[in-house]
Amino acid sequence: MGFSKFFNSSIKLNIILIISFSISVNSFILMPNMNNAFYVLFHLTFIYIIFYHYHYYLYLVALVYGLLFDILLLNNIGAHLITFLSLLILFILLRKYLIRLSSYQIIFIYFIILIILFLIEQFLANLIHNYKLNMSLIFNFILISLIIFIPTIFLLTKLDK
Amino acid sequence: MAPKFQIKVFQISTFVKNLTIISILTLSFLLVFFSKSDLYVINGIKNISSSVIIPITRVISAPVNAFSNFVDEYNQFRSLKFENKLLQEEIMRLKKWQTLAIQNSRENKVLKKLLNATDNNLTLIKTASLINRNDTIYSKLINLNAGHEDKIEKNMSAINERGLVGKVIDTTAKNSRVILLTDPNLSISVKSISDGIFSLLTGNGDGKYLVSSFVKENKMPRLGDIVVTSGTAQIFPVDLLVGKVAKVEKNRFFVLPFVDFENIDYLQIVTSK
Repeated sequence: MGFSKFFNSSIKLNIILIISFSISVNSFILMPNMNNAFYVLFHLTFIYIIFYHYHYYLYLVALVYGLLFDILLLNNIGAHLITFLSLLILFILLRKYLIRLSSYQIIFIYFIILIILFLIEQFLANLIHNYKLNMSLIFNFILISLIIFIPTIFLLTKLDK
Repeated sequence: MAPKFQIKVFQISTFVKNLTIISILTLSFLLVFFSKSDLYVINGIKNISSSVIIPITRVISAPVNAFSNFVDEYNQFRSLKFENKLLQEEIMRLKKWQTLAIQNSRENKVLKKLLNATDNNLTLIKTASLINRNDTIYSKLINLNAGHEDKIEKNMSAINERGLVGKVIDTTAKNSRVILLTDPNLSISVKSISDGIFSLLTGNGDGKYLVSSFVKENKMPRLGDIVVTSGTAQIFPVDLLVGKVAKVEKNRFFVLPFVDFENIDYLQIVTSK
């Protein structure tokens, strides 16, 4: 009881961000899908925080995680940083329209945004850092997203009460 | 009665909020713009991420790592009997080879003396072990537990007992980052042993094969040819083993590296003499 009092939902969600980030940047040769799953979980949680706990501090969060993802996974700054900050700006622009939508429509948009994020990251990695468009990685992300999307939303809503 | 205790809540004005957002966006733009330069700030951020952030992420992901090791040990235990049989057969085969190798080694020493040849062209800087790897998503990078305190510098070559592994791209006091041969952003100049055909190889993106990005005079090597570093770009020392030609197409060829990139524990950082 005291534990959940101490940690409000925003802190809990940020802890999930830290854990999923840490696991996604450490490769496990025997379980490569583990990295990918936590990479997807990070994106899912980040979009969830933007949608339901929007605050100005998220620009700083986007800057830090964007930088770290770029340096640790690409060794160059660009793809993730641009994507995360663009997502925040896009949310500000579309917020007034999102409020009018039903919960099912929101969930659908949530999933579409997740997939678009992966595509944009791959595209920017290709454009800025010269990494080949890896379609099998994108399909892997989409498959993992399909599997963990509903359970993750359920878990995040439970944590969020 | 005592007066009620009141807290004045400090609210950040919209102006400050907007200023912060604009500052973050400007900073991000500048970071992206100068990311490929050798600026002190960019290097500082990269150093912090490899010397501070990586150890923290390793601690946080330790339970997953432990689980991964447990799965590995369980799999090894299951295949113990079968592996034992294979190893016995291999010992028999290796014993025959050992006799031949000793003979060849003696012959080699005698021939070297006759030719007055030097032993090798490499200077060993440091043997370092792997801290963690970031080679599943996007780039193929690994981090080692030795840095510029151990005299490791940028652009030094990383090898193991099988051949060339990669190149040092960043160093901090105690850590260094190595980009693997399989990364699409690393090019190495190589030559084939049998025909001496010079070419440039880059990672294919699948993490397994290297693909030629340039072949001198468009001469294709033969299937099964061994390729070694040519030393022409003066980044990698000459004659380091790279791999074997596995597939030849009209304008390009594929090389299967000798190094098993999934089983790297220790690396030697070397440079040309």
